Amino acid sequence: MSDIGSDGVLAGVKELSPIQKLAMHGLVFLIIFGGWEVGARLGYVNELILPAPTSIAYRLYEMFFVTGSIYWHYIITMYEATMGFIIGVSIGMGLAITAAISPVFRRYWAPYAVVFNVTPGIAVTPFIIAWFGFGWSSKIALAALVCFFPPFINTLTGLLHIDKDATELFRSLGSTKKQFFWKCQIPSALPIIIAGLKLAMTGALIGTIVAQFFSASEGVGILMQRFAFRLNMDGSFAALIVMSLMGLSLFTLMEYMDYKVLYWRRHSRMEEVGSKRKRKWLAENGDFSA
Amino acid sequence: MAEELVIQGSALGKQFGENVIAVEDANFTIPRGSFISLVGPSGCGKSTLLRLISGLIEKSGGDLLVRNAEVVGPRSDIGMMFQKAVLLDWRTSIENVLLPDEIRGTIDTDAKKRAWDHLQLVGLKDFEFSFPRQLSGGMQQRVALARLLQTGADIMLLDEPFGALDEFTRERLNDELLRIVEGPDITTIFVTHNIQEAIYLADQVFVMTPRPGRIAAQIEIDLPTPRNIDMTTTPEFNDYVQQVRDVLAGHLDGQPL
Repeated sequence: MSDIGSDGVLAGVKELSPIQKLAMHGLVFLIIFGGWEVGARLGYVNELILPAPTSIAYRLYEMFFVTGSIYWHYIITMYEATMGFIIGVSIGMGLAITAAISPVFRRYWAPYAVVFNVTPGIAVTPFIIAWFGFGWSSKIALAALVCFFPPFINTLTGLLHIDKDATELFRSLGSTKKQFFWKCQIPSALPIIIAGLKLAMTGALIGTIVAQFFSASEGVGILMQRFAFRLNMDGSFAALIVMSLMGLSLFTLMEYMDYKVLYWRRHSRMEEVGSKRKRKWLAENGDFSA
Repeated sequence: MAEELVIQGSALGKQFGENVIAVEDANFTIPRGSFISLVGPSGCGKSTLLRLISGLIEKSGGDLLVRNAEVVGPRSDIGMMFQKAVLLDWRTSIENVLLPDEIRGTIDTDAKKRAWDHLQLVGLKDFEFSFPRQLSGGMQQRVALARLLQTGADIMLLDEPFGALDEFTRERLNDELLRIVEGPDITTIFVTHNIQEAIYLADQVFVMTPRPGRIAAQIEIDLPTPRNIDMTTTPEFNDYVQQVRDVLAGHLDGQPL
């Protein structure tokens, strides 16, 4: 996660000590949530529009620790989103690799992927329900549909935009296409592919929840809708927060993958991986300088 | 002893598309073990000529022989180096140097030992397990040079290899390059647009002029070897500089820049 703050947007903000910063954050938090709480309690804000933060918090507590009703919905939703993600990403990357390898495929077939993308995926929900029914499969299908494009376009772009000199180097070394693909194209494309996966992750969650809104018997989406239909606003908001938690956990997972896989983009990681490889080399080959 | 010719071009030409003549009627012979500089302004076809010899691009006409065989594609006795180091960012120095062996399937303890030694030779002791982004531009080019040595090629084609580096680093690397390629075995073709550099390094300078790309003059450089930087201030050296300038001026007069 990049640090936009320090000298960009916030240029000119007075530098505070860590304790003062913490106090500042606490103060802002208190103003927002304290104001909201007080507003709701004193009746300035209608509980049916915006319930008090403490009522929402209580609902969350109840869902997780009293009734435990949330877990099943949570697991189902995560399962549907993850399966959709895996399927969508596999199709997207598979097509992109085919398109990168075959110019014919790229020219005559890939344009349909673009048409596909500019059609709002969410609008296809009724068809998806008609085709796949009311169970898990329709949620997975919509999730896959919504998240298929970013990995497709990013993988294709990454594989095709290879440095011209690198291509010449590999050719001059007598490399086969396969060697070039695995040793140069794929690793060069990894950063942009992973950026595509991050977008896809969010897309998969959106797809799942929209499909659940439409028709489902289980899942956080339908849970939220049931609360809303009964004008149980604190329950609705609690479900929304659960969705944020899901998004956050999936995002963290992707960030971790980014951190692990793209070690050559971070200085601390390069040092770590470099010394690990050094140890491995010395164990296998001994020290040639000795 | 008759000089052994390693590269011969006659009436060699390369045309791109309908009317871009990148190289026209190039005639030259390059003896084994010599150091040739190709010097000329941008767009004069230096890089194209280098790529023709490397087998990366096909000629449009004439003859081009390497070791008495027509060039039909990349060969294992020809190695290249570019202005950019073109290192794989996810590989350590030693892994980058081993790339040629990996591609040819010749990785073994001996190859690893040679890679190690090549890194010591180019002055990268203790940087064997650094990643390219941890190295300066000059050090990255040193890795690229070690990789070139690792190919075992005895014909080295260098396309402005130190052109993006600062003056001091470039002078040092030029001297180290000379030390590495000296001797009767390695034939070097070095592309540059810097006249002093071209003369300082070479046994022979090919002066190229643009539109169409031609070898306008081939000048033998009869300066003592090994070269050292003090020679660049001698009258003989400056005579050569003047000769090259005259050739270029004669061809560039009246041409739009």
